[in-house]
Amino acid sequence: MWNSIVAEVLLLRKRLSTWILLGVWTIMHAVFGYVFPYVIYLNGDAGSAGLPAGLTPARLVGTFLEGYPFFGGVIALMLGVLAFGSEYGWGTWKTLYTQGPGRLHLFLAKLGGLAFLLAGFVLVTFAVDSLFSYALSLGEGAPIDWPGVSSMAQGLVAGWFLMAVWASFGAPLAVLSKGTSLAIGIGILYGLVIEGLISAFVNSVSALRSVAEAFLRANGYSLVQPLGVGGEAASSNGPGAFSGPYVGGEQAVAVLAAYLVGFLLLSALLLRRRDVT
Amino acid sequence: MEYVVETLDLSKHYGEHILAVEKLNLRLHRGEVYGFLGPNGAGKTTTLRMLLGLIRPTHGTARVLSQPPGAPSGLARLGALVETPAFYPYLSGRDNLNVLARHAGIPRERILPALEQVDLADRAGDAFKTYSLGMKQRLEVAAALLKDPELLILDEPTNGLDPAGMAEMRVLIKSLGQGNRTVLLSSHLMNEVEQICDRVGVIHLGELVAEGTVDELRGQGRLRLRVSPLEQARELAAHMNGVTDAEVSDGRLRIAVDAGEAARINRELVLAGVEVSEVYRERDSLETVFLGLTQNGSANDVE
Repeated sequence: MWNSIVAEVLLLRKRLSTWILLGVWTIMHAVFGYVFPYVIYLNGDAGSAGLPAGLTPARLVGTFLEGYPFFGGVIALMLGVLAFGSEYGWGTWKTLYTQGPGRLHLFLAKLGGLAFLLAGFVLVTFAVDSLFSYALSLGEGAPIDWPGVSSMAQGLVAGWFLMAVWASFGAPLAVLSKGTSLAIGIGILYGLVIEGLISAFVNSVSALRSVAEAFLRANGYSLVQPLGVGGEAASSNGPGAFSGPYVGGEQAVAVLAAYLVGFLLLSALLLRRRDVT
Repeated sequence: MEYVVETLDLSKHYGEHILAVEKLNLRLHRGEVYGFLGPNGAGKTTTLRMLLGLIRPTHGTARVLSQPPGAPSGLARLGALVETPAFYPYLSGRDNLNVLARHAGIPRERILPALEQVDLADRAGDAFKTYSLGMKQRLEVAAALLKDPELLILDEPTNGLDPAGMAEMRVLIKSLGQGNRTVLLSSHLMNEVEQICDRVGVIHLGELVAEGTVDELRGQGRLRLRVSPLEQARELAAHMNGVTDAEVSDGRLRIAVDAGEAARINRELVLAGVEVSEVYRERDSLETVFLGLTQNGSANDVE
């Protein structure tokens, strides 16, 4: 299995779209997490209250996780779709299947490769965020107090987990549509329009509350809320904005894990049963 | 007897009305090059995909290298080219084989010899998307050879190649079929099958309509004789032992008889006062046989 995972990592590593998505995600982190807030700070009453807390190393984990429940999810969704859906476009499923390791083995290898890739995305963005928070604090003479190791580890694991759930959402979309374009379109449409709009109407239509509580967005934000994301940061998060309803942390983990397992089981079942024509 | 490939009433239906393959019974012997001949849409590729476990049969069974189709232990011992070559376009030929070798648990040391065998070592570092169709086909052969397979399943490997590429591929397939390796070659090109294959099966509308060696499929043919006087010779020939039919055609006598009887027929005609200036065997080409089988759709099991 290890050899197969290495093969999948090679496929992902040498693919241009992987690097483009990593670049986009890193720039989004830097620009929306640090550059814009810093420019706003400079254009406002800079110096009166000091560097905003969200730009300091002390709040690194919260700032780092702000984009993960939605924007990171969409990036991961695309990675999941590309990992599975491109095989249809290139006709390479037949090439892989006839090599002999078995369909389930190949599926698990793809998941292993994706898991490594997502870890890379999380680590790179965390490093970029750390660098920005350190540089800004140093430049502004703000105190440089790093979060504890366990807090940073929780942040990294939470970020990876959120990406894993969204990437797993991409897998059945790709397998069902046997391609990439439609799968990415449907995935983004679902995340942006269905979850976004219904969540926005929760305060007006109370019947939608229980529906919204089952969404990836609600559970994602609920997962990272205890780690410093929420309130204004979440509700002003552009297309990924979220102002409730929040659920408990444990419930969020359970629901997201259920999504992860469900998406992967569905994908595995389809890949195992379907004819390759 | 254990066959390398054995199918029993193998069938694939799409819905109620489309019968892609119908009750196909194939048996491939170890070490033979078997030509699977049929027009486009006859069910060749569907059959091969079923043998590889890519699609599931609707009815019937198959065993490939004594394993059910698609079983990892069977696939580990076979190499396959199914329709167009499919690889990762952004990876080099070498990296593509590296990915496949890793998945199949094959040592990386096998990659270079496989590339050399198909004469692709010089371009191994170039991206697959920059390859010509011939190079892509050869890379697929190299991928099939990584496993040093007991069975090679080749689905129209010369499709889309120019004449030089086709000739090259034929030589390659012939060399691959040496020794104990079994080759199942699907094609609709008569001369390709005629040149390469030990035995041939003809599939039409999803059914096997004929099977045998090329010689068996072409049949015994007829004797053609340039004789004088023609009508007297026809009368004589029609009453000779072993002759089932005698007719005059294109100024020559044409008789249906075992070709081994040519000398006796000649002698008897000469002794009867007929001048015989030419005797030769006339046989149907494989193409004629093929067209007869696939245009009429009649079953004709030669073996």
